[in-house]
This record gives sequence, C-alpha cells and structure tokens, in this order.
Amino acid sequence: MCASVKYNIRGPALIPRMKTKHRIYYITLFSIVLLGLIATGMFQFWPHSIESSSDWSVQKRSIRDVPVVRLPADSPVPERGDLSCRMHTCFDVYRCGFNPKNKIKVYIYSLKKYVDDAGVPVSSTISQEYNELLTAVADSDYYTEDIARACLFIPSIDLLNQNALRVKETAQALAQLSRWDRGTNHLLFNMLPGGPPDYNTALDVPRDRPRRYFLLSSQMALHPEYREELAALQARHGEAVLVLDKCTNLSEGIPAARKRCHKHQVFDYPQVLQEATFCVVLRGARLGQAVLSDVLRAGCIPVIIADSYILPFSEVLDWKRASVAVPEEKMSDVHGILQSIPQRQIEEMQRQARWFWEAYFQSIKAIALATLQIINDRIYPYAAISYEDWNDPPSVKWGSVSNPLFLPLIPPQSQGFTAIVLTYDRVESLFRVITEVSKVPSLSKLLVVWNNQNKNPPEDSLWPKIRVPLKVVRTAENKLSNRFFPYDEIETEAVLAIDDDIIMLTSDELQFGYEVWREFPDRLVGYPGRLHLWDHEMSKWKYESEWTNEVSMVLTGAAFYHKYFNYLYTYKMPGDIKNWVDAHMNCEDIAMNFLVANVTGKAVIKVTPRKKFKCPECTAIDGLSLDQTHMVERSECINKFASVFGTMPLKVVEHRADPVLYKDDFPEKLKSFPNIGSL
Amino acid sequence: MQSWRRKSLWLALLASWLLVLLGLFPLLRLAVPTSPRAGAPQGWPRWLDAELLQSFAKPGELLEDGPRPPQALRGGSCNWGACFDTSKCRGGGLKVFVYPAAGPVSETRRKILASVEGSRYHTLSAAEACLLLLLSPDTSTGECDPVPPQWDGGRNHLVLSLHPAPCPRTFQLGQAMVAEASPTVDTFRPGFDVALPLLPEAHPLRGGVPGQLRQHSPRPGVALLALAEDGGRWHVAGTDFSACPWDGRCEQDRGPKQTHPGATLPNATFCLIPGRGPDVLHFLQALQAGCIPVLLSPRWELPFSEVIDWTKAAIVADERLPLQVLTALQEMPLTRVLALRQQTQFLWDAYFSSVEKVIHTTLEIIQDRIFGPSAHPSLLWNSPPGAILALPTFSPSPSDFPFYHLQQGSRPLGRFSALIWAGALGQPPLKLIQAVAGSEHCAQILVLWSSEKPPPTGWPKTAVPLTVIDGHRKVSDRFFPYSAISTDAILSLDAHSSLSTSEVDFAFVVWQSFPERMVGFLTWSHFWDEARGGWGYTAKRTNEFSMVLTSAAFYHRYYHTLFTHALPKALRTLADEAPTCVDVLMNFLVASVTKLPPIKVPYGMWHQEARPPPLEPGGPGLRQEPQPAAQNCINQMAAGFGHMPLVSSRLRLDPVLFKDPVSVLHPRLLHEAA
Repeated sequence: MCASVKYNIRGPALIPRMKTKHRIYYITLFSIVLLGLIATGMFQFWPHSIESSSDWSVQKRSIRDVPVVRLPADSPVPERGDLSCRMHTCFDVYRCGFNPKNKIKVYIYSLKKYVDDAGVPVSSTISQEYNELLTAVADSDYYTEDIARACLFIPSIDLLNQNALRVKETAQALAQLSRWDRGTNHLLFNMLPGGPPDYNTALDVPRDRPRRYFLLSSQMALHPEYREELAALQARHGEAVLVLDKCTNLSEGIPAARKRCHKHQVFDYPQVLQEATFCVVLRGARLGQAVLSDVLRAGCIPVIIADSYILPFSEVLDWKRASVAVPEEKMSDVHGILQSIPQRQIEEMQRQARWFWEAYFQSIKAIALATLQIINDRIYPYAAISYEDWNDPPSVKWGSVSNPLFLPLIPPQSQGFTAIVLTYDRVESLFRVITEVSKVPSLSKLLVVWNNQNKNPPEDSLWPKIRVPLKVVRTAENKLSNRFFPYDEIETEAVLAIDDDIIMLTSDELQFGYEVWREFPDRLVGYPGRLHLWDHEMSKWKYESEWTNEVSMVLTGAAFYHKYFNYLYTYKMPGDIKNWVDAHMNCEDIAMNFLVANVTGKAVIKVTPRKKFKCPECTAIDGLSLDQTHMVERSECINKFASVFGTMPLKVVEHRADPVLYKDDFPEKLKSFPNIGSL
Repeated sequence: MQSWRRKSLWLALLASWLLVLLGLFPLLRLAVPTSPRAGAPQGWPRWLDAELLQSFAKPGELLEDGPRPPQALRGGSCNWGACFDTSKCRGGGLKVFVYPAAGPVSETRRKILASVEGSRYHTLSAAEACLLLLLSPDTSTGECDPVPPQWDGGRNHLVLSLHPAPCPRTFQLGQAMVAEASPTVDTFRPGFDVALPLLPEAHPLRGGVPGQLRQHSPRPGVALLALAEDGGRWHVAGTDFSACPWDGRCEQDRGPKQTHPGATLPNATFCLIPGRGPDVLHFLQALQAGCIPVLLSPRWELPFSEVIDWTKAAIVADERLPLQVLTALQEMPLTRVLALRQQTQFLWDAYFSSVEKVIHTTLEIIQDRIFGPSAHPSLLWNSPPGAILALPTFSPSPSDFPFYHLQQGSRPLGRFSALIWAGALGQPPLKLIQAVAGSEHCAQILVLWSSEKPPPTGWPKTAVPLTVIDGHRKVSDRFFPYSAISTDAILSLDAHSSLSTSEVDFAFVVWQSFPERMVGFLTWSHFWDEARGGWGYTAKRTNEFSMVLTSAAFYHRYYHTLFTHALPKALRTLADEAPTCVDVLMNFLVASVTKLPPIKVPYGMWHQEARPPPLEPGGPGLRQEPQPAAQNCINQMAAGFGHMPLVSSRLRLDPVLFKDPVSVLHPRLLHEAA
C-alpha cells in the first residue's frame, strides 16, 4: 500500500521515457505475470497431501501401531536402587543447568511395546491413567521434546500397578532406555488403584449435613489383630463407631467393591464414607492406601493408623491440618484422642481435606503436576512455592493479607527521612518549601524531582543553602508517577512526599509526623484526611472531603511512607492504574492509598488536626463548581481503582495521632511538639 | 498510445503486486510450517484408541490384597509412635524431670538447668514426669555420666547436648530421643530426634541480644553477599564477585578485604554458608545479623526443622549449581528479600537468642507431639510472636488469637466484656457500671469481687448481663482467664476508675484497629536511672509513655491466658506482693509479645468540662509517684525477662475531630464527635 502510493508520485516522471516499440515487451511482461498468477493459484488450492499426512501420522495414531521391542532374556538388569539416595547425591542437577525461568524440563520417552524372547508382552502397553498422566505432563510447561535439554525423564513404560508387573522384564526394559544411566533423573510413577472408576457422579458432598457416625472403618483386607481392636472400639462406643467389612452373602451381579457390610446390614461404598466424621486408614497390604483417596473425596477426615506411612506429597502438604495421625500402639485410645478435638477444628480439617483432594488428588493431571512442581521446588528452592500457597484453601487465600513489612520494628530515629519535592516550575514556592522542610531535625536528604522538560532547574548557586544534601533529579516526561519512583538517591527507609506549595506545615508538625511513621512504618502517615463512602442511590463509591469523624485516606501532598511502597507503585501497581493516573494527571494519591491498604490490610494514620493544605481560612465559597468537578473526578478514581483491585481495600478509622500532651493542661514550653494544632 | 502504455504499465504493476501477495503467502506457509511440523510430535500423541485403553487396575482388585500384621518394633528405627509412651503424659500434659548434675556444673549446663527449671513443664519428681531429660556430658568436666537410674532402655528420655559430645557414650541410646546441635542428616531421625542450633559458648541465658536488623529493607549499596570463613569470620564480597568463586578457594582477588576479627556479624543481604560441619556456627550469626543464610547442600539438619519452615528465612540451594544460585540471588525480587530478612529476625528473636528460648522450644516441640491434633499449627510456629508465646491450649483456631487476623482475613469480635476488679469496697461502683453498660459495644459486665466481705446485693439493673465472680483476693487474679469472659476484648477496670461512655466507645473502636496491643487512658513511662543504676518509672505526665494502667484499659483476652499460664511463677508472686507491680508485669508481658508500645487515648477532657481528678484519692494510688518498693519491682521484672521489653511511644490517638475549632463551629459535627 505504502509502496504503491510512492509509485503514484513518481509515476509521471517515468512515463515519458517509455517508447512505443516496447509494447511487445509489455505484453510479454503481462503474460508472464498472468502465468505466474495462475501458477500461484494452482499452488494455493492444490491439496497439500504431504502436510496432512504427516499430521496424521504424528497426532493421530493407534496404540496398536506402536513399535515392538524384543528384550533378550540375558539383557542387563539394572542394579538395585540406592536407598540412601538424596537429592544432592543421586540427582544430577547439572542437567538442569540451562533451564530458563526456573522450570525443569521433562522428557517423555516415546511409547514402545516390550515383549520377551517368547514374544509375550512384558506388560499392557499403557493404561488409560498413565496415558492421561503423560498427556498432562506433555501439555504442561515442563515438557520438552529435546532429550538433550531435558533434566528429568519419564519412561513411557506403565508401572502404575505393581500387581500386573513382571518385575525382572520391566527392569530390563527400563535399563535399555537411552538415558537410563542407573536411573539418574528418572521419575517413575507407581500408584495404587483407587476406587472403582465410575462412581464420582454419585458423590457430591453436601457440606452441612450432620454426619451419623463419629468414626468409621471401611477397609476390607485387615489383619485380625486390627479387626479385634476395631471390634473392641465398636463394642465400647456403640452407635458412634461403625466397622465395615467385606460382604459375604451378596447376590450375583452386584460388584463387591461397591458394597460394605456390618453384620447383615449392607452399605453402599463409598457413599457411606460421607456419613462419618472420621475415617480410619489402617495399615494394609501396602502402605499406600487406596482408601485414603476415597476418604478424602468423601470429605471425611482420615485417621492414619500406620506408623511409617509417608502421606502423599507430605514434603509440601501439611497433613496435620487435614488428618489425624495416631500411633499404632495407641489404636485403642483413638476414640478418646478424636473426642478431644474441638468442633471448630473438625470443621477446619474437613475443609482442608476437601481442599487437598480438589487441588492435588482429584485427577491424574492434578497428581502429575503436583509431582513435577515438588521436584521443581527441590531443584530451584529460591523460586519454590510457599507453604501457604500449597496449603491454604482459596477461601483463606482471598481474605488473607501478608503484610510485606510484618516485623514489628521501630526504626531508629537517627536514620531520618528523605523529603521528595515534586515540582514543575514554581521555583519561588519551591525554595520556600525547601527552606521550611530543612528546619525539620530528622531530615537527612532533600530530593527535588524536576518534572519540567522544557526548562532547566535554577543554577546551583540560586538554591537555598540548607544543612542536608540536596539533589535534583530531572525526569524524562512530565508524569505524576515520577513522584513515587524508587530513586536510587533515597537512602533512608522513610520518605516524605511533599508538594512544592505546601508551606504551612510547621517544623514540629513534620517532625512529629516522622515520629508517628516510626511507630507505624508500614502505613501511610499524612495530614489532611479523606474518606470514601458508599453512595446508596448511585450504587457506587463517593469521595468525601467534608470534615467528618472518619478517615480512610490521607493526601500525599505531604505524607510519610516506607520507600518500599515507591517500588510497589512503580513496578507492581495492578492493572492500568499507573498509566491511567498519568493520563488523567490526577488521583495519584488515591492510587497510593489503595496500594498500601491493599498490601498491608491496614488503615492510614492521620496526624494532627490539619484538614487542608491551602488557605485554611477560606471555605468552599471560591470555585464551588471547580470543586464539584474535582469531587466527581476523584469519585470516579475511587470507583475505577476499586474495580481494578477487585475489592475495596481502604480501611475506615475514627482516630488521628496527636502528641501525647496535645491540648493537655500542661506548660507549653515543656511539650515536645508545641507548634501543632492549626487547621 | 500514451494512455494504453500507461494502462498496461498499471496493469502490469497491479498484477505483479497480486503475484507478490499471492506468492508470498504460500512461501510464508512453507516457511512457517517448519515450526508446527517440528512441533507436530509435540506433546504426547493423542491416541486414536485412547478411549479403549484399560484402566491400570481392575475394579475390586484390591479385594485380593493380603493383610499385613502390625509391624514389630525394629531396633534403631525408633519413631514417635513406637518409642515414646504418651500414656504417662495424659492429664497433666508434658512434665519434665531433669537428672541432677553430679559433681561440678559447667556454665552451659547451669544455663540449661536454669532454663528447664524455669519452664512451665518442669517437675521435681521423676515418678510423675513423662519426659526425663538427660544432659549429655560436658566439655569442661570431661566426665562421662553413668547410666541414669530410671533409664529403662531410654524410654521417654531425651538426651540433650548443646555441644558435640566430647566422649563416646558409655551406654546404648536405646529408645531415647536425641536433641543435639546440628546433627548430620544421615543419623537424624525425623519426627523423633530434635535438631538444635549450635550455640556459641557465651550464649546468654535469658532475653538475649536482639536481632541486628534495624530497618526492614536492605540499605542501598550494602554488599549482596558475605562468605563464611573459618574462625567465625566473614568475607564481605563486593558487588563484583565474578572473579571470586564460592567455596573460599579464591585467593587472588580479594580486593578491599573486610574481614572482621573475632565473631563479628556480617553486613550483607545474603550470607553464603557452605554445607560442611564447621560452618554451622555461621548460621546463627547470619540469622542474628538479618543476613539471609544461603546454605549450600547442608549435611546437617537445620535447627528445629520439624516445626520451622526454613524456606521462609533461608535459601537451601544445591552446591553444584553455584552460578545459578548467584543469578537467582541477584535477580531475587525485593518483596522476597524483604520477607526473608524479616523472617530471619523473627526466628532469631523467637527461638534462638537465648539458651532459655532454645530449651523451651525443644520442650514445646515434644509437647506438640504429645498433643497430636491440638498442637501448634504451622502458622503459630512461623509468624510473630512465635510458638512459645502462642499457647495452643487457648484455642485451636488462629483467628481467636490477637496476632493473626491479617493472615486469616478475620476480625476481632465486635464487642467487649468489662471486668471490674473490686478490692476493698463497700458499695457497688454504680456510676462506672452505668457508664460502661451505656456503651453499645458492651457485651457483659463481670465484677471480680476480691474482698474479705461478701459482695453487696444492690447491683444496678443494666442492659447487659452483670455477673459477680468471687476472686481469690490475690492481685494477679484479675488476669485469670475466667471462662465467663465471652468476648475477644476485655475492658479492665478498677472500682475506682471513672470513665464516660463516649470514652469507652472510642477506646474500644481504637482497640479494634490494634487488637494485639493494650489501649489505655492513663500512662506511665519508664526510664533509665543513671543515679541508681537501674530502671525506674514515673506517673508524671511526660512527652512519652511506655505503659498503660490496667485500671482502665482494653486488651485481648488471650493475655489473661498468657499471664496465667506462660509467666514464670516467681514473677506472678512478685506482683501479688506489691500490687502496683501487676500493672508493670502486664505491660512487660504484652510488650515482650508485641515488641510495640501500648496505645494511649484521651482521658478526662472529652467535653472540655471540669472533671474530678482521674482517680479518687482513696484509690490504690495509681496517680501517685510509685513507692520505692514498686520502683524496685521494675528492675526485678527486667531481670526476670532478661531484658527491658518496654517500648516508648510519643503519640496519643484522638478522635478525628478532637478539640477541633471546626467541631465548635459546626454543632452537628460536635454532636457526632461526642
């Protein structure tokens, strides 16, 4: 398009040079072009058989077409696993050396069918679950198909069910994998069969229904000693304890796995688990318990009575929150132990058990991804997922706040604060502010942010001479957010943001503001307070600057805060708020109030009775309409930010901070901050 | 002619453009498919017959599983369930007996003994104890103890050694648990043994040095990394450590080396500690300094790893990937650096700064094992104020404590209970009861009758329930966790106190913003008395304060539990003997938990009208200058705590329109403010 327009302009200049005898030439050119067109069309619409067939062969294959590998009887068997293996002895991290973004790369061997010398298959090629698992891995970010870059290898040999395994032949099959190397960095999945696969539709746990049984045991294959103990428990506690066993007299056609019996009473399994508060998980044939997943799914709290049982994902999941572990020796006391758990904790555990099931066990995909995440966390511990992320259910995560400055700490006064003055061109007023602020004893540095690109700041010699270092930073663009930039020049933790026209704040007021900040270093500490209100008629938030009894924001025309919030404002402000503020040249202070309240969950601190920065005498008579539009704009900001944050983080309080002896009947000259109190 | 030529030219041009456009697309398509085609086998193939695959287990397959008998105990592989007999701890919970030392007692051993004896779990009788503590032989005495009398194969024994044992054990450990400093991961039995920190010889008994961190974020320009060197020294690496390798092998370019003689603390953001044995001592140093420990494949178990989530305070990395670790440290987001730094300080202050804390933490871990399901949740161990100060017996739910509302997204309950302590008194404090009952936030009034005389009968009718509890005539009784207290907030009052309803309302609303602190009306401040070489405190009005009087103060009911169950008995006795001491003690307790000052709200000048002096002259003399005996009490408290926990504040929280000319101008506002 662009090129043809250019030609248009040049066209007339070229044409006069053309000659009539070149007509033939044009015709030839034209025909060539035409031919080319036809050829292109043909190519476009011709069926591209090569591509689609390759698609076919890779994406859509049958498992029956999988290549067959014959394992000779004398092929090498890998050595036994080293039981003392640790991550730092047996795992080869060097292979994970070049994985970007702290993510391991996982390679999956392609599927083969292994047969022994006699042609008998070593195992079923692949089960439905293992196929699902490998699909989940391959669809995840971890997957790579480049074996050279992989750091973890997953054989496609299905080992999920130990019962169906021919151990020696499977071992031989593993040993001949191209990167086996004694199993280094290989991940094998071995699971126990869960309940019958078709029962999940029946199970949707009604949460608030009272549960009939306090303790229930549903396992079938138990050692007689355990059975005796359970029977004794039932005898002692009667109805509250239910011990189920295999049904002996079931009629034909009913799957035995879905029924459990107590004497002659028949119960549906696993539905009966929903009837119990606690469900026993006893040591069975293997330590891994199928019943555990049934129990979790039913929202029943597992009671683990198996001493050396390592619970699934116990490296990251805090099972104490979702289960009760009772030592095997204390099995007879189990009722007493459970009885001592308060009702609220029981509810908490039920919720937690449900959350674990939903997040980490309910699908093969969830299991596969949790497994890889754990290995990833081991290899990149500095990027690991936190305890809270693994364990807190979403309801807790939404409501909770993790204050970034949680350590109760009162910074030493000696450190002082850095004042940041944002200015455009009001040099005279700026100089007055500098002179006033420099009188504050705890000021340790003054930073002027020169936001005017068209004008140079005054010469060095013209600036007021003050006792602390004064730095001028020139900005590249006139933006409000420059005020909240984490400049390298800020060496103190405390920052005083101050406008270039705030001259009425006394030195006492500023010094006291700094003292208050030291006691609340994680909050915004400012002078005039503002409030947000819910407007019931309009169903939206409203900005309020009337002199009310409540405060939820402070103006940043003069406010102390921790410099970390500058970092948050510049780099972590949610949504488009930062650009929105710069575009509208308004509401940067409201944005800062939202940000700090959201991340700390705490209210602002208003200091001293001051209510306005400018002309405290004059009321709202001048510029009433201007004030009106200003209010509407500010209200819009609040609504906009509340929708971006997805919540209203601001907290309303009814207090402000004054010096201890403020307005007390006490000699003024003995007060630390006498010069406080004008509006 | 001209026009024809021009036309043909145009046509040719158009056609060539079309050609280019049409021709380019297939070319593009040829160019692009290389990636999809290479990526075509990406992922696991979608098998055509995936639906037909069989499940890995047949339904009901487990029915065939054989049962397994209970496991017989195998020697050497003790675990908690098998080797510890909790039946002895039923009822009274953990009771600890410590074998008396034979012969001369070394300094470390004396500290351990004092710590155990100061613990609320200590008992003097071996018969009623459920945990028997055997101190490992000492370095200085060099004697190896014989097998103790109640040994019983080591059952319910904890063998504790703060320093590596100098002589081989003369007896088999049997079923005893071992608590030793930095055990190797190979011999450590998780969930049974306890890993202790390796403490320096001169570690203080109580209190301890506070953490070195004075500010939340690292100072700009501070070194990123300090390397642990032999002899307890640190080598602070400059910002350029590309030349300097990791494991101390770099000898050539040490540049402006800043090694400090002796065991000084590192000044850097991260402290690199190799995983070998001798470097363990560095770990605690780094923790104290607020320097985030970076451990390279440690061969020793991290202290108290059973309960402390070290991923929140340290980085355990693989020593084989040093460059990756270095990059990760350089690129670590500020948010995480901040969190890690603060956590190091919290852990140091809560569990490591004194021998007493280490011993108490050890006992607390054993107690948690006995408690089973009602042990400390992980949150209580891993966030301030720490598990020693957060008693799990108080409540199973963290949101009942004053400390975890933010993390739990909860709020304290919206009402308070007024607890009026009536010592020597003939008449019910009618005015006070009316004023308190008038508050919309008041849920109940409890009168704690602590006089010899029977309580009078003429209690006023109030809108809220009023209950009279018979106290035990001890001053410390006013801080007993009475089961009748049903709300989170307590308004503690003396019968002599005089408050107005609006004062109560405002103070309660302020308390809701600071549920972990005390909010009071009258204040004292403490000071260091150079002349007497000790602490003193005064009731004079000054520009700062550090204590609020419990004769009129809001605080969380949890502090009653803590006061009664966690404070050493000696301190409570002291308070009973000198009644004004009880205020000091309560303020010490809350300050040592929160590490923050209390909050003062305005008193007695709400309506700018004349009011009687805050407290009746006949009252317990709270406005008077404390007596010398009471002055002494603050020093005894400070000794008992091992440090001075009080923190001063210079501010008072007033209502937003307090004493405001505007509220005078606008009667409506005045009305609201009142």
